[in-house]
Amino acid sequence: MSHALSPVRGSPRQGTMRTAIRGIGELILTAGLVVLLFVFYEAYVTDWSSAVKQGEVTAKLDDTWRNPRGAVDHPVNGAGIAKMYIPSFGSDFVFTVLEGTGPDTLAAGPGHYQSTALPGQPGNFAVAGHRVGKGSPFNALDLLSSCDAIVVETADRWFVYRVLPLRGESTNWATAKTTRPQCRGVEPLPGRYSDVVGKTIVQPTQTEVIAPIPGHPDQPAKREIGLITLTTCHPQFSARQRLIVHGVLVAQYRKIPGERPAELTVGT
Amino acid sequence: MYGWIWRHLPGPPAVRLLQALMLVAAVVTLLFLVVFPWVEPQLPFNAVTAN
Repeated sequence: MSHALSPVRGSPRQGTMRTAIRGIGELILTAGLVVLLFVFYEAYVTDWSSAVKQGEVTAKLDDTWRNPRGAVDHPVNGAGIAKMYIPSFGSDFVFTVLEGTGPDTLAAGPGHYQSTALPGQPGNFAVAGHRVGKGSPFNALDLLSSCDAIVVETADRWFVYRVLPLRGESTNWATAKTTRPQCRGVEPLPGRYSDVVGKTIVQPTQTEVIAPIPGHPDQPAKREIGLITLTTCHPQFSARQRLIVHGVLVAQYRKIPGERPAELTVGT
Repeated sequence: MYGWIWRHLPGPPAVRLLQALMLVAAVVTLLFLVVFPWVEPQLPFNAVTAN
């Protein structure tokens, strides 16, 4: 169309030049559109497909809980093993935790590090989850405060973990916790656990955060405390570091049909 | 590029428009089902595990 509008018909060489420049311009515009489309894909499409996969594993887990005859006693890689509730993220925050931390597993929901303890067991129940896209289960992990509940539901039990005192909080813990009823049972950990705090940022290589005694992978304890550890990427949109949240097991209940623990209510 | 494609589509403008839209849909589908899933694992914010 610009040919028709141009006052002087250019030489053939100018014509090729014009075509080339227009071609480059169109390519750049197209590249911009593709990038925008990719943002849309990351923000919405991966969430949709992850929601479908999460729904499938949840349905399968509910099935095995209802009809435990077909159930196996050891967790199967990629299958649901428990449900995780974090009431301070909203009463509807629940994700089925899958066994394993491979990319396909994590695309369906938070994944349990296979070498670590199971929910409620002594040791460290460690779970990884996406912070950006794919349902972003751990998107708001940095907003957790000390004593926030992380409730884990298994076939026959509820386990209530609470986020440990954050760095700097433990010095005045005895007075600080009196005003917060949800902190009952949460204490700075003793002995070799004393450097374990509620929230830390570590290097990706620091696998010791998921050790039974976080930070001390080479020291087996005689009596291990029941802990939960959540890991995700940090800062958001980056792989430079990992955000780590540690919680301690404060209560457990046998499941009664139709009843849910009070800790699932927001603000308790 | 787009002009070249438009000139090479057969038929009257309405038919060409339909074909152009189908081409766009095909490219978007290819991006969503093949290209993006392949690019995505190389992006940094997928690394959430400590290992």
